[in-house]
This record gives sequence, C-alpha cells and structure tokens, in this order.
Amino acid sequence: MKKIISILLILAVPALLPAKAETPVKPVLTLSAAKKAVEAAEKEAVRRGATVVIAVVDDGGHLILLERLDDTQVASVEVGIGKARTAAIFRRPSKVFEDQIRDGRVAALALPGATPLQGGIPIIIDGKVAGAIGVSGNTPQEDEEIAIIGASAVSDARTPGEKQ
Amino acid sequence: MKIIKLVLAIMFISSAVSAGAQVAEKKSLTLEGANTVIAGAMAEAKRLNAPGGVIAVVDDGGNLMALERIDGTFAAGANISIGKAKTAALFKKPTKFFEDVIKNGRTSMVALQDFTPLQGGVPIIVEGEIVGAVGVSGAASAQQDEELAIAGAGALMNGSSEETSTAPVTYFDNGEVRAAFAKGMPLTEVAGYKVHASRRTEPGVAEVHTRDTDIVYVLEGSATLVTGGTAVQGKTTAPGEIRGKEISGGESREIKPGDVVIIPAGVPHWFKDVKGPVLYYVVKVS
Repeated sequence: MKKIISILLILAVPALLPAKAETPVKPVLTLSAAKKAVEAAEKEAVRRGATVVIAVVDDGGHLILLERLDDTQVASVEVGIGKARTAAIFRRPSKVFEDQIRDGRVAALALPGATPLQGGIPIIIDGKVAGAIGVSGNTPQEDEEIAIIGASAVSDARTPGEKQ
Repeated sequence: MKIIKLVLAIMFISSAVSAGAQVAEKKSLTLEGANTVIAGAMAEAKRLNAPGGVIAVVDDGGNLMALERIDGTFAAGANISIGKAKTAALFKKPTKFFEDVIKNGRTSMVALQDFTPLQGGVPIIVEGEIVGAVGVSGAASAQQDEELAIAGAGALMNGSSEETSTAPVTYFDNGEVRAAFAKGMPLTEVAGYKVHASRRTEPGVAEVHTRDTDIVYVLEGSATLVTGGTAVQGKTTAPGEIRGKEISGGESREIKPGDVVIIPAGVPHWFKDVKGPVLYYVVKVS
C-alpha cells in the first residue's frame, strides 16, 4: 500500500511541474497600488504647483487609473496615457526613445504604440514590470520627476531613472 | 472737461456691456467633483456585487478627467468607458438613447466619428447645466453599467444642491379629476398631505382639523364660509377631527370661483350656506 502511494506521488509531482513552467505567475498591479502611486505623484505635483495628468496602466498598457489635476491642458490626457503605455509595453522609461531619436535614431519614431517622450516610468514589482505611470502637462524633466516619485511609491525595486 | 469724462464713462460702460454679452459663463467640473462621481459609482458597484467595472469621468469637452478600473476588469473596458462618457458629454444625452436609435433601425448612425453608442454613459448635470459625463464598462451587463453611471452622476448632484429624489410622480388626467369632482372624493391621501376633489351641495357642519391645514381653491358655485370662533357642541369624531353643529362667532366670507382660502390646522370652519354645487380643490397638509 505504501509503495502504491509513493508511486502515485512520483507520478503526481512531475504532472505539477510542467504546468508551473508553462504558466508562471506574474505580479499584477492592483487598483489600490495604482492609487498609491497616483497619490504620491499628485502630492509632488501640488507641491511644485504643476498642472499635470497622471496615468497608471497595467503590463498590457491598459489604463487602470487616471487623474487630471484642475486646470491641466486637456491634450495631456492622451500624451500621459501614451507615455505610461510606452514605459509598460517597452519595459523602460519613455525617455530612452526620446534620447535615441535626439541622438540620431530617427527610426525609433516608427515604433508601433510608442510615445517617445520623457515622463513615462515602469512600475516594478517582484523584479517584473507590472505596469507604468505616465505624467504629462509640465516640462519633460518635471513630468518625469513626478512620475518617478509616483512609481517609487509602489515599486519594490529601484525605479529606473531614480537618482541614487 | 466734465462732458468728455461723461462721454468716456458712457463709452466704457457700453464696451463692458457688449463684452459681457459675448462671453457667457459656465460651470466646470473639478477633479474633486470627478472623484466624487467615481466614488458614487464604486459604492453602487459594491452594493450590486458587480463583477468588475471601469469608471471614466470626462469634462464638457469630452476630455478625460479621472478613471478607475476595478481589479480584474477586462482591459478593453478602459477605452470603452471613456468612449461612453465622451459620447454622453458631447451629445448631451445618455448613450442608451443612441443604442436604441440604432437598434430601432437608424443603422447609418454607427458611421459617426468618435462615437460609442453603447448603454452606460450618462451626462453629469449640476443645477441644470451639463458639466461632463460618466461612462462605465465592465459590470455585469450594459444595464448594470448604466446603473453604476447613474449612481455616480447622482452622487455629485446630491452633493452640490438640495437633496433630490427618484420618488414616483403621481398623475391624474382631467377625466379622473372630473369624475372625482362629480362625486366629491379624495384624489389621494398619503403621509404628509391629502388632495381632495370636494363637492358640496348643502350646508355642512362645523369642522376642526387639529392636524391638517386646508388650502382651498374654489372652482364652481359659491358659499358662505365661516372661520374661527368656536364649534358648538364639538365632539372628537376621529383622531385629529372635531365636528360640531355650527360655529358661534368667527368671521364670515362669501367665497366664489377663483378664490383661495388657507385654513390653518386647529381653526374651526363651517360651510354655513351653499349656492348650487360648490366644487373646490383642497390640499390638506399634515
């Protein structure tokens, strides 16, 4: 009887292993985490007197949470979402593409789904990009600084672009 | 010199007036207001146990102000909710209106640009002005999407003005009202007020309503109405109701069509003399 059980166990263990290898789990950005990021970014924007849109997207680049601070130019809605989506689906700060283009790699403008403008920062949880935050409405430098503060509020790794 | 000053002043005033006519003021939604709408929709989602939902709030130009996606809601819902809100704001109508129009045969309407004719978007109205709209996608059904949107828009309206209500409206068409006056009977009696279509062909007894104030509007016939004084041989016939044979003392008036009489609660009154059937509309306020 004992033998049969141990054989069954041996059979059962390999059956579990491939399933795990084929569908590993990934961290998911929750609405409450997104709120934490936006709250931190908003606080920083208010402190600077910056009127901005703050957008948080998931790892597929789809919007989870957005806030447009009062009196922010409306065009920043699309730009803010675009920066966040870029940082999420390319898994790097959107500034990378702005730099590439400025340094002569004009072809980066043709990247599908990219908004190559500084101000989008990935949100990293358990070492993986779980989403991103995009800020638009102020100077590119300030937009990114606000985004970094937002991302750092939830990322558990050092946020790309964050000063050491 | 004085004349020049006066002319200048007149010129100044008239230019100020014309500028005023060229720019109108309108209310605008703040982020705080948008978040109140989202909180209202979220509370309703929780109450209805909605399986998910994305709530988007746009301003009167259809531009996104705030958005929240409940954990687990399908990702496409984000853009659909924005589309619904945008459509409700720019067309100043709930999106269900357009879904119905298309379903009822006006298929060519789907060709409109930047148009999401799906139930779940409703305008946000503050004191009669449309200040934006809320769109919901990703709840249990299109119907539930709209319920959340209505709850969200309602949260702001309740917060910014006097309390509103969704209590049903009572309607009597003129046929019903005529029939009630033919017999002389109550139209409705609910907590707070009663409405009677009263008809009187002969003198009445002295009446005192200790709880109800009578607001009387005379439609036909005329009568001598005595108010005040004291009810002779007054007896309590029902809670809050005293009846007596007649009134001693008091004030006498001839009432005729078009007259309005307000008799406060507790004041004795008596139709002493009646000429022809007297029809009068009474609102009794408790």
